Amino acid sequence: MNRPERPVAIALVASIVAALGLFVVYAAGGQPQLEGILLFISLGGLGVALMLWARGLMTSITDETQERHAPASPGDVDSATAAVEEGVEEIRRRRFLSRLLLAAAGALGLAALFPVRSLGGSPGDALATTAWSPGDRLVTVDGDPLTIDALELESFTTVFPEDAVGSSDAQAVLIRVDPSLLELTDEQLAATAQGYIAYSKLCTHAGCPLGLYLAATHELRCPCHQSTFAVLQGAEPVYGPAARALPQLPIEIGEDGYLRATGDFTGPAGPSYWNMPT
Amino acid sequence: MIVEKLVRGVDERLDTTSFIRRNLRKVFPDHWSFMLGEVALYAFVLLVLTGIFLTFFFVASHETVVYDGPYEPLRGQEVSAAYDSVMRISLEVRAGLVMRQTHHWAALIFMAATIVHMLRVFFTGAFRAPRELSWMLGVLLFFTGIGAGFTGYSLPDDLLSGTGLRIIYSAVVGIPFVGPWAAFLFFGGEFPAPELLSRIYILHVLLIPLAILGLLGGHLSLVWLQTHTQFRAPGRTERTVTGTPVWPRFALKAVGLAFVTWAVSALLGGIAQINPVWLYGPFVPYSAPSPAQPDFYVGWLEGLLRLWPAWEFTLLGVTVSSAFLPGAVVPGVITGILLLWPFLESWATGDREWHHFAQRPREAPVRTAIGAGGLTVFTILMLSGSNDVLAHFLHVEVDGLNSVLRWSLLFLPAVVAIVTYRICRDLRDRDARPIQRPARSRVRRTTTGGYEADHEELGTTGGGP
Amino acid sequence: MTRQARILTWVLRVGLIAAIVGQVAWSFRPGVGRAQTDEEALGRRLYESGCITCHGVDGTGTDLGPSLEGVGTASVHFYLSTGRMPLANPGDQPSRRPSTYTDDEIEAFVAYLAPLVAGGPEIPDVHIAGADLSRGSQLFLNNCAACHGAGAGGDSIGGGQIAPSLVEPTAQQIVEAIRIGPGLMPRWSETTMEPADADAVAAYLVWLRDNADEGGIQLGRVGAVAEGLIAMVVGLGLILLVIRLTRAKA
Repeated sequence: MNRPERPVAIALVASIVAALGLFVVYAAGGQPQLEGILLFISLGGLGVALMLWARGLMTSITDETQERHAPASPGDVDSATAAVEEGVEEIRRRRFLSRLLLAAAGALGLAALFPVRSLGGSPGDALATTAWSPGDRLVTVDGDPLTIDALELESFTTVFPEDAVGSSDAQAVLIRVDPSLLELTDEQLAATAQGYIAYSKLCTHAGCPLGLYLAATHELRCPCHQSTFAVLQGAEPVYGPAARALPQLPIEIGEDGYLRATGDFTGPAGPSYWNMPT
Repeated sequence: MIVEKLVRGVDERLDTTSFIRRNLRKVFPDHWSFMLGEVALYAFVLLVLTGIFLTFFFVASHETVVYDGPYEPLRGQEVSAAYDSVMRISLEVRAGLVMRQTHHWAALIFMAATIVHMLRVFFTGAFRAPRELSWMLGVLLFFTGIGAGFTGYSLPDDLLSGTGLRIIYSAVVGIPFVGPWAAFLFFGGEFPAPELLSRIYILHVLLIPLAILGLLGGHLSLVWLQTHTQFRAPGRTERTVTGTPVWPRFALKAVGLAFVTWAVSALLGGIAQINPVWLYGPFVPYSAPSPAQPDFYVGWLEGLLRLWPAWEFTLLGVTVSSAFLPGAVVPGVITGILLLWPFLESWATGDREWHHFAQRPREAPVRTAIGAGGLTVFTILMLSGSNDVLAHFLHVEVDGLNSVLRWSLLFLPAVVAIVTYRICRDLRDRDARPIQRPARSRVRRTTTGGYEADHEELGTTGGGP
Repeated sequence: MTRQARILTWVLRVGLIAAIVGQVAWSFRPGVGRAQTDEEALGRRLYESGCITCHGVDGTGTDLGPSLEGVGTASVHFYLSTGRMPLANPGDQPSRRPSTYTDDEIEAFVAYLAPLVAGGPEIPDVHIAGADLSRGSQLFLNNCAACHGAGAGGDSIGGGQIAPSLVEPTAQQIVEAIRIGPGLMPRWSETTMEPADADAVAAYLVWLRDNADEGGIQLGRVGAVAEGLIAMVVGLGLILLVIRLTRAKA
């Protein structure tokens, strides 16, 4: 073995040893980090050996020059085009039939699209409505209904209708604030209950659930693209790419002391869409 | 002996000798930057191999099961069968975790190599006639690659990838007129629909790989038939190609490079944790984690969504959501420009000739400048997609960082383009007109006491490729 | 001595004693709390040297710092043991640093300030041994991961603050933070999150410190950003390095 061959030999030997090591590690139960390192050495040894051999050892095989693929001559192109056109012309010669053929192909093509319709239902008003109906109790993800002492000031929790816990579009965030801080319209204020205020938890930008409540500044922030909503001002967007306020869930404290919704959200929950009710 | 029998047996039945002889002797130029596309190809092969292993264990079902594996914080929780199967692969199947992580790292290397390969082809003008179709197939490969990666990491049905799916769903919903219908058809109903997981599965293991194979087949056949570009050098012409014959030298190097690609992927797959879905927890529709980023090759789309201003408006009764422009229109425009670039350039330059020489970037200053500007846009968008991580790491305020990124996006690409143009022009001019070294004289004392001078010949310095 | 001189002497003596007694009595005046034990006295001395400038003589705040009324002993313990207080400069963002005070000194603070801060959350009694990790992880992911990161590595949340990494705090400090809601953080009282649940969250975070990294180097638990960077730089870089190193020596 001469000097230039030595690195190739070393790489191949390392590869063999590492492959044997892989057998051992696997038989012993496996361990990801060891497996990765041994794979690196066994695959890499083989790879480096081949590359060194091809590029460094096969120096007797020198570069060659060959003709490239040349553009077709005009005569060839013409005869090819003519061959295609002749066939097309033979079909189009029979005008009536070829028009019928076109119509049949079109009709069948359209019909073939119908199975696509089975892929999903019609949106209908699914995007504009959720499972909230008047009188639904607010419950946590554990199913526990909430009374007035459920949260203390500057606390928040995720709530659902009692019969739709975990619902994707009905999810709402319930926050308790000092009622004197609220700056809402009369309508919005009427939808709160002694400092408890609830908004849809779905961001109106791209629909991510809003998990960040910045208590000191009373802002709800979305972890996806940092859209920020001012809780005290009706969840108006104050920063980030969201452009629509979070729809509010109108709530009241029922006679039995439980927090209940008095209706569905005041707008579509989640991202805006072309024909959403405004 | 065996080889001779094999070749004879095949040839007698298929009449292939001239084909074999011609193609085994075919030459390919051997420049390091020409190997990037190969790296992507070998990464794809590894993805298929490791992917097959994973499909033997993955369960593409949204049905809930109770986790009772070795990962303590999940025990007793209700998770989807898909999530449960990925946890099993990761923590209970022998060699499962290294296979799964190698699969994911190979995907990242595939996309990284594809991007750098695209940049190489762009900056050397190798997309020019007759290779426009090859370029377009390549751009389509880039986007199908994004699709493959996105569907792939959504399969474990964890909280992070599920959030990403919801963002795509919202972007589709926001498309005027067809949005809600398209979203319900494609996603199987209002998010999260039960059918979604199995559809993503079929996309990821069947439809997208078939598309990639088809596109790759076309892309590679074109390179083979049209022969590879090469850089200018003495003795080379447009009509010929100089390089290494396929057999044995190029083939051996290629196989070696494949093993090296697999080796690096496996190293990362073993020692570097990737997509630890047990940390994110199973997907639930009422929670989202942070930081919430997609894989890096989708980062530019994420950056668009984060930086775009909150413009939502109603036009003739049609509400255009604030996610529509950055989520659908701008990516569509970028795709169109990328796809049609060879035709845009030849229309702008009036150059419809065939070119087999790869250019040095300086030889096409306008294209290189535009490319540098485009790369700047791409980079800023990728950084924007990770703005909260960046802000945390740099100890700056994320909202302030967003402002910096927005202004950079508006001005930096143009600045970079202008500077790049200047540099290219200067380099090109220096090559064309090398600086002449001034004549030097030496003054010597003669033996008789006088002085005489030697003048050196006027020489040249610098310049030349 | 004349009679006036004798009276004057007595007056002076009484006056001197009164002045001394008065001085001593004055130094025991009610400040923030009634300094009666050694511990409370130590706490008072520490308070007067380290906190009085911003929080005021009686702890009701100044222009430079907020009032401490009703913040709870949990707050005192949390801010002091995590080194968030004292601030180097008023107006700085509180952030985790090595604590300036020893455990005994912090206990002295708590003893001294207890009457003032009463009403707020008390120092919780935290037990993490045997806690339900599964419950803890679920609660963490639903309530905390959006700010603190799914891997508890922290994140930038806007409003000029970060939600810090939860790898460093002790279980005690974690539960205290849950109860008091420091900085921009919301808070959960014992009714909103039972002690067992809060303990479970803390137990999960402590467990997370040394576990959950079966895949290898955890790259900061940041996620796709770090992974992409490594793939481009290390992955592609290594491959390109091999390509360059194995080229023909021609």
